[in-house]
Amino acid sequence: MSATYSVTATPGAEEAGAVALAVASLPATFGPAADGAATPDVAAIAGGPGWTAEVLDAIESGSRGVLVVNPVPEDTARLSAAAEAAGTAVVLDLRWASNPALVSQDGGPDAREAFRSALGTAAMLDSVATAAPGTDPQRLLGEHLSALLEVTGTLEAVSLLQSGTSGYTFSGRLANGAPMSAHGVLTAARPAGVDIRLYTADGGVSVRLPEPAAAWPAEVRVTGPHGGLLLPTLYESAHRTAWRRLKEHLTAGTRPDDLARFARLTDLYATFADT
Amino acid sequence: MPSQTQPAGTPLGVGILGAGPVTQAIHLPALARLRDILEVRHIMDVDESVAASVAARVGATSSSSMDALLGDDTVDIVAICSPHQFHAEQVIAACRAGKKAVLCEKPFAMNADEAARISEVSAETGVPIVVGAMHTFDPGWLAAEGHWEDLPATAHTIRSSIVLPPNARFEDFATEIVTRPAMGTPDYADIDVIKAMMQGGIMGLAIHDLPLVRRFTPDFKDIQVLQARHVQPFGYAISLRTPTRTIELRAAMNNTWQPEWSFEAIADHSALRIDFTPSYVQAGSATATFSRGTETTTLGPYSHNGYEGEWRELAELARGSKQPPSAQTLIDDLTFALAIADATVDSVAADHHRRPGAIAATAGASA
Repeated sequence: MSATYSVTATPGAEEAGAVALAVASLPATFGPAADGAATPDVAAIAGGPGWTAEVLDAIESGSRGVLVVNPVPEDTARLSAAAEAAGTAVVLDLRWASNPALVSQDGGPDAREAFRSALGTAAMLDSVATAAPGTDPQRLLGEHLSALLEVTGTLEAVSLLQSGTSGYTFSGRLANGAPMSAHGVLTAARPAGVDIRLYTADGGVSVRLPEPAAAWPAEVRVTGPHGGLLLPTLYESAHRTAWRRLKEHLTAGTRPDDLARFARLTDLYATFADT
Repeated sequence: MPSQTQPAGTPLGVGILGAGPVTQAIHLPALARLRDILEVRHIMDVDESVAASVAARVGATSSSSMDALLGDDTVDIVAICSPHQFHAEQVIAACRAGKKAVLCEKPFAMNADEAARISEVSAETGVPIVVGAMHTFDPGWLAAEGHWEDLPATAHTIRSSIVLPPNARFEDFATEIVTRPAMGTPDYADIDVIKAMMQGGIMGLAIHDLPLVRRFTPDFKDIQVLQARHVQPFGYAISLRTPTRTIELRAAMNNTWQPEWSFEAIADHSALRIDFTPSYVQAGSATATFSRGTETTTLGPYSHNGYEGEWRELAELARGSKQPPSAQTLIDDLTFALAIADATVDSVAADHHRRPGAIAATAGASA
């Protein structure tokens, strides 16, 4: 049986998003476009500066779906309108925020729900992102913020406290006024990833998100008066989850809300420029 | 100059000033594990009934005056577990009484002048002083010290994170407390309450790990507060920096059953994480983990914690078999903590006054 949707990937997307591996893991749905073929069904694009223009080109050339790997904050208003008009599904493959442990694709328990249940009694949120030395701290900050927004929904009064060659610190408030602090650390001593810890009046929720380079499962733990609960581990990388979401939208003919949600990140990110 | 010729086979006598929960739930259980080298002989508390009750548990003499304890010749080592404001005066009195060693619960003074006076008296009398920063005596920390190579010079990020339930949970695992102090309900809208809680957070909780932080912060005298936020019901989120270090301090004391007490120092190519056991319980030492890329090395846990380590150190100091800690180290640790506490209090006060409501209220009041 041949794949339903043909896929091309830019070299940048392949490198950042392990596109061939993700596509190979969904062989009944996606397959590489034949050499010299016309417009592919799906275009995979790297999310470096100017990615919105590249996606617009892909939409104009007739792709039914576009997957963007690690997009940097950028204005997506024009792109959203174009995708809507053309009926193109644009899915964002976010380094950490696309991890399936954050938002379940099949109605299972997930970190977002665990956080929502706990945010009302939140006392403090503390988060650490780790990445290799040489990583652009500003880019890391965007990826970190994106993962945080996925579970908190909103952050208020965010401001950048410091940023340098070894990392950054930013702070803000949760909806109930509790303090939020997050910092990025550049080191080769530890695996890259993000830890998010929400402390409540009598327990809390913690999430440890791995890199999407392999199908390492995230860890989501909920602690309360009853004890501790480890949510089911999901051995699926953020990359594959993004591709699986794209498959669902293409199959169902629906439009993902990725661009609208990403606009919140872009708006929030812009506030850092003022601090 | 005190005699330091106690026969090795005879337990040294211990006297304790202040018989509150820390004495009952931390020091007495730690000393119960060291009966072959230390013996509690005198308990003093301003509440005579508490002193008598606690002393009776260990077959010690009780009193309600410091002079009675310092005049007790069976006491070789004095532990000062009274409220902070009495520490300096009592440390000096214990040194002048010719005791063999003094343990002072942290902080050992409330300002640099007091610290300098204590240092002078210690030098003059030759009585060694140990400050109860228990993590610096934890075998897990000491093992890490032997393996951290150049990490104190290369670390760029330092974290201390403390998550604890109210003390009573662990006190009740350790002993049967008499006369637990009553806790009021703070008014979080009152900036003076918040300032006092932040001051207490630094000098009562963060201070456990600030000597550790300082070991990895060579430019500790040039510290800047980036944020200081109070965490309800008790805790803090504090971000600091020096010209070469980022320092993140977090604490949350809530009603969780799950404690977490960690210290981390992170450099470009190596990192150390130490997970400490909670205070009050005899749950062994911290575990230290070094990470270097995909390679990790774990040290510990060992069989005793830092409180027991403190007492072992005191016994050796009193017997003269070990050199006392540098007075300058103690002074530097204290001034580092005081600088952070002062800057933190200033920061929360400044944030409060920047709020629109606060500005309006201030303007109204001055008009």
